[in-house]
Amino acid sequence: MAKQKTDGDEGLTATVLNLQRMSTEDGPGIRTTVFFKGCSLSCAWCHNPESISPERQVVWNRVHCLCCGTCVALCPQEALVLKDNEIRRDRDRCTLCATCTEQCPTLAMEMLGKTWRLDALVAELLKDRAYFERSGGGVTLSGGDPTYQAEFARALLQRCRALGIHTALDTCGMCNPGVLQRLIEHTDLLLYDLKLINPEQHKRYTGASNRVILDNLLAAADQIRSSRPQARIWIRTPLIPGATALDGNIAGIAAFLVDRLDGLVERWELCAFNNLCTSKYERLGQQWMFADTPLPTAAELDHLHRVAIASGFDASRVAVTGLSRLERARKEQAKSTRRPDPDQPAAPR
Amino acid sequence: MSSQSALHSPVPIKEPHNLSERIQRLRDFYFSGIERSWNNEFTCWTTGTPWDVVYDEMTFYIVPETYPFMQPFRASTLQVARQVGLPDDFWSKSLVERRAWFIKEVMVNYLPQEILPGDLLAGARFNILASRCWSEKEAKERDRLIYGSQGSRARMKWFHSHGYGNAGATSGHLIPDHQRALEIGWKGIHQDLEARLNGMSVTERRGPKGAQLRAMLTASTMARDLAARYASRCRELARQQEDEARKAELEQMADQLDRVPWEPAQTFWEAVQALWLNHMLIMADENYPGPGVSFGRIDQLLYPYWSRSIEQGMDREWGKEILKCFWIHANTAYDAMIRVGGNQGITSGYGQLITLSGMGAEGRDLTNDLTYAMLEVIDELSPLLEPKPNVRLHANSPEELLDRLVEMIATSQGAPFLINFDERSMAGLLRQARRAGVEHLIHQDNVFDYAPVGCLENTMVGNDRSGTVDINLNLLKAVELTLTGGKDMHPVVDPITGKTDPVRQDGPATGDPRTFSTWERFWEAYAEQTRHLIARSAEVYEASESIRARFCPTPYLSCLVRGCAEKGLDITQGGPELNFVTVEGVTFATTVDSLLAIKHLVYDTHQTTMDELIRALTDNWKGHEMLQARARYRAPKYGQDNDEADEMAFKVMELWTDETWTYQTRSTGRRFRPGMLSWNYWVSDGDILAASADGRPKGQFLSNAICPSNGADILGPTANSNSVGKALGGRATEGEGDFAGYFNSLPNGASHTITFSSSLLRDREHKEKFKAFLRGYCDNGGTCLQVNMVDVELLKEAQKHPEQYRHLLVRVTGYNAYFTGIGRELQDEIIARESHKQLG
Repeated sequence: MAKQKTDGDEGLTATVLNLQRMSTEDGPGIRTTVFFKGCSLSCAWCHNPESISPERQVVWNRVHCLCCGTCVALCPQEALVLKDNEIRRDRDRCTLCATCTEQCPTLAMEMLGKTWRLDALVAELLKDRAYFERSGGGVTLSGGDPTYQAEFARALLQRCRALGIHTALDTCGMCNPGVLQRLIEHTDLLLYDLKLINPEQHKRYTGASNRVILDNLLAAADQIRSSRPQARIWIRTPLIPGATALDGNIAGIAAFLVDRLDGLVERWELCAFNNLCTSKYERLGQQWMFADTPLPTAAELDHLHRVAIASGFDASRVAVTGLSRLERARKEQAKSTRRPDPDQPAAPR
Repeated sequence: MSSQSALHSPVPIKEPHNLSERIQRLRDFYFSGIERSWNNEFTCWTTGTPWDVVYDEMTFYIVPETYPFMQPFRASTLQVARQVGLPDDFWSKSLVERRAWFIKEVMVNYLPQEILPGDLLAGARFNILASRCWSEKEAKERDRLIYGSQGSRARMKWFHSHGYGNAGATSGHLIPDHQRALEIGWKGIHQDLEARLNGMSVTERRGPKGAQLRAMLTASTMARDLAARYASRCRELARQQEDEARKAELEQMADQLDRVPWEPAQTFWEAVQALWLNHMLIMADENYPGPGVSFGRIDQLLYPYWSRSIEQGMDREWGKEILKCFWIHANTAYDAMIRVGGNQGITSGYGQLITLSGMGAEGRDLTNDLTYAMLEVIDELSPLLEPKPNVRLHANSPEELLDRLVEMIATSQGAPFLINFDERSMAGLLRQARRAGVEHLIHQDNVFDYAPVGCLENTMVGNDRSGTVDINLNLLKAVELTLTGGKDMHPVVDPITGKTDPVRQDGPATGDPRTFSTWERFWEAYAEQTRHLIARSAEVYEASESIRARFCPTPYLSCLVRGCAEKGLDITQGGPELNFVTVEGVTFATTVDSLLAIKHLVYDTHQTTMDELIRALTDNWKGHEMLQARARYRAPKYGQDNDEADEMAFKVMELWTDETWTYQTRSTGRRFRPGMLSWNYWVSDGDILAASADGRPKGQFLSNAICPSNGADILGPTANSNSVGKALGGRATEGEGDFAGYFNSLPNGASHTITFSSSLLRDREHKEKFKAFLRGYCDNGGTCLQVNMVDVELLKEAQKHPEQYRHLLVRVTGYNAYFTGIGRELQDEIIARESHKQLG
């Protein structure tokens, strides 16, 4: 392993969307997941739309708002207006000075993205060390995409490993090959997204072809075989109705994994589509093409699971995660008695 | 927990399984409730004097729901009481001797002895309200002390209605020396008492010590004589019985009852039979149906008998069958007031606690086959409330035990048990030994023998009465008094009479906080008010404690607690070797969060002034919604693993616990010690306490035990648990701490509840993660965890259709309750707490 220069890492900062404590879905054991802001893809189905932009963003949470007008009165740029019980923000005027988000009494005005210094972040992550150690868990870097803030991500992975903490890197793989290589040097588990096997479809739905992604995965596999044999690879595929959740796509990914990665993939997770993030798009003032898409049925998920296995991938290594429609339907019914759910910021992929 | 959801279905309601026809029948019979042809409801017994009292209110001072009924209870129980014929010399005896005789007479010669069909254990009726046996003079004197304007009742009611909490000398809540009673039998105890009495000087024998020992001698033959009655009953039933197998069982039961509990127990069946009778008679002796009368480490206590009987060929399932009968018997304690409907879990607070597993000497694990057999019994009978189990975990707990526990949690509506954590608990008890100067009784070489009583209240075993629910103090009241300079914020209006108490200078005059220029000045005033709170609780407690010591002896129970015979003192007079009164701090997180809000909003960021804050609180936040929102959302909160907030929690903890240690009762010399258990007070006292600076309006719930405030727990179980551990003192960075590197300010322990989404236990992989969480909790968390594992949809369904969910169990602050049996507000609260969702 090449010796990395670590001097000066202390001063590094990153824009982080959220820390998820006791995450049980982002790798082995109990983990804290760091959601970085900024992603080089813009997938049409993204469940964390607030993580795509590398910039901090101001959002308004209707359910928390008292309509007290504090933000409007204090905004130095006069970028905010309160009309019909609704706060409107002039995005051109707003300089993200954070006056409104710091002064809002109820946190209805919220700044997405917090600047963390490396030392402070490591100290925060260490708070759950006992749980990491007892569970074989650790820290997962996710996002957004950690490769978007590569220098910080490298330093964070390196620091965690030096402290004996298991590290996972959750990435879409759309980055400079050298960046990924440097991160893998400090990664115990690579959580790698393969969304669409067809390059054109990939470009259509994510904004970029998958050529770099596939090449990077093969390079990562070579690197792990040759210099990091203890490291593991898990592949994750989001099951998006009409986009990725198609027999041909799942079979194609399976074939790629079987032909090109030769047993190196320890687990392949098929992650069911969900629409819990609809309100996030609303808050960001964006349209979402999947807003009215229903959840997959259990039968559909089961079918895709069988497709994955039929394509020759080791059945014991395929896992389907997520909510099916039946489940959701019952929740919708119950919703009539429940206040709107201030959904949590981090629902990755 | 990740908000990424998972494929899962709602947890099905637990159903009993693997029950024999016998047990199924007994269980169904039990659940038929008031329809039953037989029950164990209170019967009342009087000496027949016009001044007699059979209902002693003091033991219910900690149950504010009963305050309006104290007078009707006193009158009506006497009205229905049946007269017991007294011997000629009855009134010439001392009070304790009269009472010992009376209880024994009722239990042996008046109450019928019955055996339910198929039951393997004798000992059915025990809920009695018996004459207090007072002479006219004693009754008058005791009434004067209770009912006078400075009497115990007036003091207690003042204390409660002004929001301080409640306090009273309460029965139960201890672990008797069952081991000795099984090993030497009542015969051995009787011989010991005789020897002590004979060893006394003539003067001593004529005095109170002699009277006490004579009373205990009488009490020590009660179990023998009752067993003899039951033996006759078994033989009578055997004669009438046509089924040969049942006939044989009844004959064997009779033979066993000829021996135990008078002689030492030899077999498992005998030991369980003896244990049941010995236990049941405590409830009879105290006239108190069970709360906190606990068994201690029952899997250790009974293991020698279990393994011997197994070696001698007892079928393991048969051993479990005997245990299942024991379980059913324990539940009949609830029959005491079977016709009175329960609300807010009032009927669920019994807690005849058993302790399973845990550490032995040198950190060795003591899990054995009986531990597992009892877990199987719990699982197979589940859901059934009593005896309430608490499983002790520690660093060396075996994987197999954790697997079993997690499996049980996954298949019920939450852990069908409490989980106690040894290292943190033992650290607290060793601190207690040091603070109270009882290191000869609690030390490194025996502290692992501790066990919880009631729910999670840690005590030593067989020699300890720690009054674990006797004082329940609303720590938040001190914040209110600081803001007002020592007066109630609002005048107190009696809800029944409508009479208003004028506002007085009740606390120290710490000055107008508007003039405090620094946070430190505010803190000093708060500390003074906290000291006042504890002093006040000590005064209120003294009133009932001193009356109990003079008028309410329990000589039978005194036989089973080491120290009483030795000192010749009743357990109610300070007889036990270890004598404590526990102050349970209630409203901890609300207090901490209120102080944090004051510091943050007034002193650190100047977002408001003290004047504006006081006005907002006086107005119950009405018209001050923006400030209320700032208090709720902008101020730091305990429970988020935020070091600044958790330091405040620790500071509050240090302050009130340090002060608590400085008190002891004047009448009985019992030392005060701190704990945190809030039963249901955090719900009901929310209507009494004024609005608090954390943003809570009057009328909303307070925080529960050591749990973070509702809505503050937004970073998940690990952050929540870390905060709890830090509030208790955390871990030593150097040196040994109180025990093995752990600190613990609360020897009694602290109730901590976390509700998990059921998806966390959906498969093997996630169950492993949950096991790891429990082990991590052992490192970082508190003394006792209750796991709620409920699906919110299921709860809502149960709320809508209670008739279909009669058996749905949930945990509420340390005790189990049937969900449909608790009040609507508590139901809503439990639903709101589901899965760490932030409340807006």
